[in-house]
Amino acid sequence: MVESWLRGISMYFYMVSASIRAQLQYRYAFIMNILGWAMTYAGTAITMWVLLYSFGTLEGWIFWELIFLFALAVLSWGVCMIFFFHFRSLDQYIVNGTFDRFLVRPIHPFFHFMAMKFDVGAFGQFLFSIVAVALSYSHLNLHWQAWQWLVFLGAVWGGTLIQGGLLVAISAMAFWTTRSERLYWVVMWPAKNLMNYPLTIYPRVIQLLVIFVLPFAFVNYLPALLLLGKTSQTMAPFWGFLSPFVGMIFFWLCFRLWMLGLNRYKSAGS
Amino acid sequence: MILEVIILGTFKMYGEFSRKSFQRAAAYRFDAWTRIIGNVMFLFMWGFIWYGLYHGKGEVEGVSFQAMLSYILISQALQGLHGAGTPLWEIQERVRTGDIAMEMLRPYDYPTRMLFSDFGSITFYFMTAIVPLYTVLFLVLKPVVPTSFSQGGLFVVSAILGYLIRYCIELTFGLFTFWLVETGGVEDIFYFAISLFSGSVIPLWFFPGWLEQVAGYLPFQGIFFVPNSIFVGQLTGQAVWDALLSQVIWLLICYAILRFVWAKASMKIVIQGG
Repeated sequence: MVESWLRGISMYFYMVSASIRAQLQYRYAFIMNILGWAMTYAGTAITMWVLLYSFGTLEGWIFWELIFLFALAVLSWGVCMIFFFHFRSLDQYIVNGTFDRFLVRPIHPFFHFMAMKFDVGAFGQFLFSIVAVALSYSHLNLHWQAWQWLVFLGAVWGGTLIQGGLLVAISAMAFWTTRSERLYWVVMWPAKNLMNYPLTIYPRVIQLLVIFVLPFAFVNYLPALLLLGKTSQTMAPFWGFLSPFVGMIFFWLCFRLWMLGLNRYKSAGS
Repeated sequence: MILEVIILGTFKMYGEFSRKSFQRAAAYRFDAWTRIIGNVMFLFMWGFIWYGLYHGKGEVEGVSFQAMLSYILISQALQGLHGAGTPLWEIQERVRTGDIAMEMLRPYDYPTRMLFSDFGSITFYFMTAIVPLYTVLFLVLKPVVPTSFSQGGLFVVSAILGYLIRYCIELTFGLFTFWLVETGGVEDIFYFAISLFSGSVIPLWFFPGWLEQVAGYLPFQGIFFVPNSIFVGQLTGQAVWDALLSQVIWLLICYAILRFVWAKASMKIVIQGG
């Protein structure tokens, strides 16, 4: 058991390094990709600035607090993208019948599919989010204690697993419906955008939904309350500590769903 | 007499493209209807953002929340329609794979054909998704709506002009793929410029003064901001005609640029193929 896991992990790294080298072949595209992502997020940040120009605050959140909330989500999304972003296009492999090759190799299909791409474009996310977190940290005069740094790391770890878990769950849908990419763009992408703004602007139903069903609130909003020293009338502050644990449970559930789908997978080929 | 026949024939031919793409959209209606989910989610998001921003405030810059709600609703409806046409990446893909060369061999004008194809799919989306959904939303939410027939008519004219402006700009941009294989970073700036300066989510009247001025010199405001403002009644009297005139001028400029780029691109394909 342990041996096969170790072998799987070393194989993962081998394939990842191949993927990185492949992407570095096209240097111009590689740099443009990174800059493109960074600029997309910078664009959203500018939109937020324009939004708050006439209004000042959004439910008590000033511009730099909003930026922090947004950047925290982008940071863990960046990590998540590296490992899981290509899961959304699982439907392509199933429809074309190329998914079968993941089943006949001496490595766990989930690992194999995961190792297929290591998206270096995500460095654009890091570029934006690290700069944005640093800027808001200094503009808001934050001085985090050691435990707050732990909350921050926990949020990145938990956020990666929560968003990665959802990508895995969406890709699992392809086993039943042969559609996943579309589902990502129609459901997850807008939902992710919703979370760039403080949760309290939305109705109670949505708040409960993103805390207890699709735990997006643990990606950025709940940890940000702790990290920015804000309080909420409806949510206990300690919830922000739970991000890593929620992430692990949620990811495990999504992984089980994926395996369930895999077991009923029938090849599209003849 | 002969000219009439030619014009009528041409019109019929392009009309056929609209009809075909309408049928195509109807065949893939599931795709059209899933797209509306994303559209509604963004509407939901912006609705609550503006609700939150207006919380405890009556009017900001002379605009009430009811007017802003109307702005967001009509803007999302229009954006949904714009999104029902051929996406930019599909045009770029056709250039990259060389499929576009096949289109050039055929006896029609490619930019015009694409426009008429889009009319077909947009009509389908308009009838089956946008109209039913937004009629309900407008009836339930009761935002500000046009009060006179002429205001509604001017809005429709302005919205169509806006569509054509966006079409020209986007197709021109798509054709740049002839020269740049990878448009990654430039494309993101382009999308950002469209989304911010067109007033798709934030009306220009909330912009800081200098930024509003910058936006005023750009063609993008004609895409969503002008029709939306007419719809909510923020633009009235002489200002409407000025705005429409600026839309027409921008449309002519964008169309001229599209034609120029298209002519250059056609030459380019000959060189590559030869």
